[in-house]
Amino acid sequence: MQRNIKTSLSGYMKYRSLGLLPFLLHRLAGLATLAFLTLHIATTATVFFAPQWYGTLIQIFRNPIIMIIEIILAFFIIFHGVNGLRIAYFDLFRPDLWDKQTTHEFIYITGLISFILWLPAFGILGYDLLKYGFGLFGSG
Amino acid sequence: MTINQEPLRPSRNIDALGWKWMRYSAFLLIPLVWIHSIIQALITGGHNLSLEYVQMRWLYLGWRVYDIFLLGFAFSHGVNGLRQVLLDYIKPEWIRKGLNPLMFLLWIVFTAIGAIAIIGGVRMP
Repeated sequence: MQRNIKTSLSGYMKYRSLGLLPFLLHRLAGLATLAFLTLHIATTATVFFAPQWYGTLIQIFRNPIIMIIEIILAFFIIFHGVNGLRIAYFDLFRPDLWDKQTTHEFIYITGLISFILWLPAFGILGYDLLKYGFGLFGSG
Repeated sequence: MTINQEPLRPSRNIDALGWKWMRYSAFLLIPLVWIHSIIQALITGGHNLSLEYVQMRWLYLGWRVYDIFLLGFAFSHGVNGLRQVLLDYIKPEWIRKGLNPLMFLLWIVFTAIGAIAIIGGVRMP
């Protein structure tokens, strides 16, 4: 029974509602963060296992394309945190809030909080991208 | 229209434990991940990372303990999340059965690699 629930993107499109958007974004953000985390553990662990590789590996992360991905990842991590807090709060303390209307209202609240918290990261990482990724502001 | 009008009585099995783990670890991961990201990604910046930086950071036992906590909570949260997502999409019973040991292996290997590196510290070439 449970396995027949549509959780795919096409299922979301058929649902024609915003309700599944935070659900999908939460999963996507979680998977993206896990992918980064796995890479991050592997590359950072070279400081012990193969320290001569560490400099080369972090050089790869200074690629402008990867820096752009990191700016998007920053939003994903913030959204995953804000929305995750909401889920944990609903599940553990206020299960009565799990209805369609409240979920819809919270899309805008979590979205706005995430966006505001993301702005400083966007500014700093964006500056780093222009400065170190594209060599603007004088020093390359 | 509300769901869960009656208080839930979670059963005591490994999946109920995983469900709770995702929520309790979430509360800890907010400060752990955000402080780590703010210091390393925003204040220090990826362009300033080096072996010397990691070595200097790990001179403080407190940051090593912090990183062990971060590794333990974040990676178990992530792998359990991946397991839950995969179980939602995978239908064949034999893959579902094999998924748990596979996820356990993924979890234990990367946690061990990370923990050994944090305990062993930086080995200057």
